[in-house]
Parts: sequence; C-alpha cells; structure tokens
Amino acid sequence: MKPVAVTGLGVVSPFGAGVKPFWEGISGGVSAIRPLTLIDTEGFRCRIGAEVPDSVGGSPRRSRADRLALAAAREALDDAGIGRGDRADTALIVGAVGGGMLEAEAWYWQRARGAAAPLTRVLASCFPSSHVDVVGSGLGLGGPRETVVTACSSGAASLAMAADLIADGVVSIALAGGVDALTRICFMGFNTLKLLDPTPCRPFDRDRRGMSIGEGAAFVVLEDPARARARDARVYAELTGYGMSTDAFHVTSPHPEGEGMVRAMRAALAEARVVPGDVGYANAHGTATPQNDRIEARALREVFGEGGLLVSSTKSMIGHTMAAAGTLEAVATVLALGHELIPPTARLENTDPDIPFDCVPRVAREVAVEHAISNSFGFGGQNVTLVFRRTG
Amino acid sequence: MSGRRVVITGAGIVDGHASAVLSRLLDDTEARRLSRVCQMTVAAGRMALAEAGLAGDTRLALLVGTEFGDMVSTIRFVDDYLQRGIPGLSALLFPHTVMNTMAAATAIAVSAKDLSLTLNVPTVGGELAIARAAAAVRAGRIEACLAGGADEPPRMVVEAYREAGAGADVRGDGAGFVVLESLDRARARGARILGEIVGEAWRALAVRPHGVGRGTRSRAIGQALASAGAAAEHIGVVFTSANGDGPRDEWERALLDRALAPHHPPQRSLSLPTSRHSGLAAGSVAAAASEAGDGLALVHAVARGGNQIAIVVAGPRVRAA
Repeated sequence: MKPVAVTGLGVVSPFGAGVKPFWEGISGGVSAIRPLTLIDTEGFRCRIGAEVPDSVGGSPRRSRADRLALAAAREALDDAGIGRGDRADTALIVGAVGGGMLEAEAWYWQRARGAAAPLTRVLASCFPSSHVDVVGSGLGLGGPRETVVTACSSGAASLAMAADLIADGVVSIALAGGVDALTRICFMGFNTLKLLDPTPCRPFDRDRRGMSIGEGAAFVVLEDPARARARDARVYAELTGYGMSTDAFHVTSPHPEGEGMVRAMRAALAEARVVPGDVGYANAHGTATPQNDRIEARALREVFGEGGLLVSSTKSMIGHTMAAAGTLEAVATVLALGHELIPPTARLENTDPDIPFDCVPRVAREVAVEHAISNSFGFGGQNVTLVFRRTG
Repeated sequence: MSGRRVVITGAGIVDGHASAVLSRLLDDTEARRLSRVCQMTVAAGRMALAEAGLAGDTRLALLVGTEFGDMVSTIRFVDDYLQRGIPGLSALLFPHTVMNTMAAATAIAVSAKDLSLTLNVPTVGGELAIARAAAAVRAGRIEACLAGGADEPPRMVVEAYREAGAGADVRGDGAGFVVLESLDRARARGARILGEIVGEAWRALAVRPHGVGRGTRSRAIGQALASAGAAAEHIGVVFTSANGDGPRDEWERALLDRALAPHHPPQRSLSLPTSRHSGLAAGSVAAAASEAGDGLALVHAVARGGNQIAIVVAGPRVRAA
C-alpha cells in the first residue's frame, strides 16, 4: 500500500472534548469508567460505563452521536489546517453502528406509553448514515461520503477505506473516523450476553470478568504524503498498511484459534512491508472478556512470537466505545509513536499467564517505537489491523 | 482506467415475496434461526455464487449496501424488553441490531473470508457497494467478491418517511448480489462472463441532509465515463434509481440530462415496476450488462442527502484490451 500521512487528529472521549485531555487521560492510566447516567440501568447486572462529559456542546436538535462526530471532525480538520477551499474534494468515511439510536429509543419508549411526538425528526438522524450527512454538509466536504458498519471494528475500517481512496488517486485528502454514543440497545444487549463486568474492566488480567461500554468519536485527516510535504504540514505518523479479514465462523464469537485475526495482522504487515520484528507496540482490541483477550493473545503470539512486543488496551480506561473504538485507538497509537510513550493497561494487576506479553500494567512506558499496530475486531468476525510508522 | 479489468460472472436477486426461493436456498438451521432479511441476503449470495460457479474461501470478499439493516429484528428486540422487562431480552436477537448482521450471516453461509464491508446509505447502498467493490478488484486489493445489498424496511419507518414528505416512494424488501472478479481470474477458471464494469465513481453533491438538490452539476457521471475511456454518446441505456419520490426523481433526471447532453439515452428503473431496495442495484447492473449490446450502459443512483454513484457497464462481449 502506498503510505498515507496522518496530518490531523480530533477526539471526543470520556475524558472530554479534544485530543489533549484524551492523551493526558490514557497516558496517565486514568479510568473514565463510572456509574452510567444517560440511560436507566436499574435491574441490570452491570451499571457502569464511560460517558462523554456534558461539555461537548452542539445543537440539541442534533442527536448526541451527530454532535460527538461533528466536534471531533471539526477538531481534526482544524488541526490539519484543511481550509474551506480544500474541503470540496475531501472524502469523508465514517464508521458507525448506533447512529442516533439513543434519541430514537427515547421516542420509542414514549410511543410505548402512548405519548410520542411525530417520528419524522427522530428518523432523520436515527441511522448510522446520518453522521456523514451532518458532518459532510456541516463542514463542506464534497468528496465521496461513506458510512462503514463492521461492528466494533468500524472505526478502524473507515481509515482503511479512506486510505484506499487516496491510494487510488480518487482524492488526496480524506477525513476518516468513528463515532458511537451510548444506547440502551447496546447496554441491554451486552448485559444479556453477560459480557459486561459490573466493575471497571481489566483487560489481560487473570481475574478479568468482561468489558465496560463507552462512547466517543475520533477522526483523523489522512493525506497524500506528497501533498502534505508540499504544504509543509505536520505529519503525526504514516498509515503504511492495513489488513481486513472475516472469520466466517460465528456471529458473536471469534474463531477459537484467532485464524481471521492472524490473517488480518499478516496482511497488514505485508502491505506495510514490515516483518513482525519491526513492530514494537500493539494497541490491542483488548476488550477484557475472558475469551476475546485469550484469543487475541493467541493470534498475536502466532504472528509476533512470545515476548518482545508491548501490548496495551485503551479500553481499560475509556471502555469499549464500539464504532469509535477503532479510531480512538488508532489515535492513541499515533500519539504513542510521536510521544515515544506507550499508554498503559489500567487496572492490570496480575497478567493472565495465557497472555505471554508485556501488557504495560498501570503505568505508561517510555519507549521509542518505529512501527506499531492497532487491532480492532467486531461481531461477525470482522477483523481490522492498521499499521502506523513514526515520522520525524 | 488503469488496473485490472473487472467482470461480472454471476448475479442473484431475491424478491421479498419469494418464499419458495428462500426455502430452496437455505438449510434448516438458517431457515429457523436467521431473520428474514438475513435469509434473503444469504439466498441471494448463494444464487450469485452458483451462477458464477464460485465457492467461498479466503479470497472471496463481501460488500453489502443497506438502508435499514435488520431494523425489524431491532424493533423486536426492544419490544420484547418493553413487554417483558429484562427477562424478555434475547441474546440471539441482539447481534441483529448491528447493521452488519446480513454480511455476517452471509459470510458464514458462503464462507467468504476476505474483507467484509457493510455500507449504510439511504436508497443507494447497493450501487455504492458495487462501485466500491469494482474499485477494489480493479486495484488488486481483492480477487473476487459478492457485491450488492439487502433491505427489509419496517412498515412504521416507511410510513414516517412518507409523512415527512420524502415522496411517494415505495421501499420494498429483498436482496441482490453480483459476483465481480478480475478478467484474468475469470478467464483462468473458464467462467462465463456476463459483462464488464469499465468505470465507476461516487461523490457527494452539495445538499442538506435528507434533502434534494437544486443544482444539476455532478462529477460522478463524468468521472465514471472518463475512467471508462468513454463519452456520453457511447451510453445506450441508463438504469436510474427513480423510485416514485417526485422531487428526487426529477433531480436525477436533471443531473443525467446535463451530464449526458446533448444525448438522451433511454432511462429505465427497476424500482418503479416493483419497489426499491438496496438489492436492486445488482439487478440494474446485470440488466445493464445484458442490454448494453456493443455499446455501454450507465447505472446511476442518487439519494436524498446527495450520495451519487455512477457505474459504466459493458456487455458480455468483452471489449478488446
């Protein structure tokens, strides 16, 4: 794959709006997982998650997810210095799952009680595709627009799809990211699957009991490196390869040997033209469910061997932000390369002996790494691995 | 257009009323456990692969466009909770609330293990998936794929769209796929070639969300023609996305008139005699290949909100390189 430059970052996370609080939070090993307030959790086994604080702003006429997306997208474009003139040909790829379902659910709950307003306004923003319409028209982006749904790997898939458009010469700039607000359906569903830990999640810990859910949005500006150089843009890192695969095994469970994950990682490394020994850090999918962490570790061992690789989970601090996770974790990976600081796995006390890696427990590690990967996996066995290279 | 040549080697369409087809194409477990839209998607995928004489493996990708995903199951999941509380929640239904559930079911059913993408866009998801897939085959990123779409709109949602003034369009249910692969690969395995996608492009038009544009200038058509090395005069027939939504249909006509002027090839829409769903795009592409003759056909789609897709299709007599 022809590498693409990462020239802008934007984040809205459970640490608040902005890349700065996000990096301070995750590099500090701070957990943003608390009792949920957005939705009624009465009667459920797990009642916690990572919510974005109220300070995001935006029009209350828009869905929460649209507001998260717009704020993160705007920050990324401003950070990259992409002005109005450049936006007419800028592509927009958004990974999303829940869309404006939080508001649609509220409407549906009211309707069940016989007191609902007309459906039309809710419907306008209920589906995931709402985000590209709102962000695209709001920020004047006139290139191709796509909404990618690959479940919990959507935010990573969006970067891969954007990189393709640049590699194919369709556009020279793309804004790509992921967004999800908390929804009752997501909360109830993962509770029903018994995948949520009633206490803040502990990825890779031998005593882990499941995941914590979260919400957020993140966007990156991807750019043809020649164009970025020509305008003397700051380049955070380069996206040098990606791999995507499908398990075709089970709707919710990953392949027990991690076969699809291995194919995604190997394809990504091949595209990036690096060998496993070149990669120093893996930002893992790391959900903290007993099964997923074990299988991801098995796949990592198959590709990289035991030992050397540093592995950490951003979800230990901000929970699993669903479609946003792949982009938030890509941003974490890019920042780790630039700062030469590997964010830790929070709350990791006793690493599971089945996970033969240094999972950077609780405290960030100062290490200069040349190449890093970010793994994202989703329902339906949808595996995405991104490879980033440090610049400068 | 540089890169590999992209040919169509199979097509499969399942109409929402075709229950007999479903029972023939699904096994007992699928018929019992999969939601209806997943059943239609799996069945359409199997039909397309059977025509192409292709089996699933790690080199078969899957691109599914959809407007509604499995919203019917999502509503059922919520209704169960509202009626019975926490004990009513179904762990089996929950995965269906994620829009990639049709892709997941189909990937498992046909063993498609390369990348799998679900693209969510109102009314033109199938065309977008096919254009995306063609570009990926052309660039050599994937070798073969099922590309198309599927939808099963809940009645409540369709009625609300109608009340919102989104036209008198009739959104239907169904699924459809074409099999796309490189010409070299198709020839090597002796596959029957139904047609060729010779150019594709997709862009956003400057329109407010869910709105219809006033402008008639578009780039997707011109870029698709340019990438095909063709001009408007080469287009013998256009398959449009006309769906009975008056303002949208009028806008699409104006976009085509301006982009193809002074030529006025006949326009057809598969949506109008039946009803529009994301799977119909596969039918449009297959029909375009069939009717292109010695010329070219254009498959065009534009959605409220401004997503525009143009796909240039040649007939089965594959043109000289």
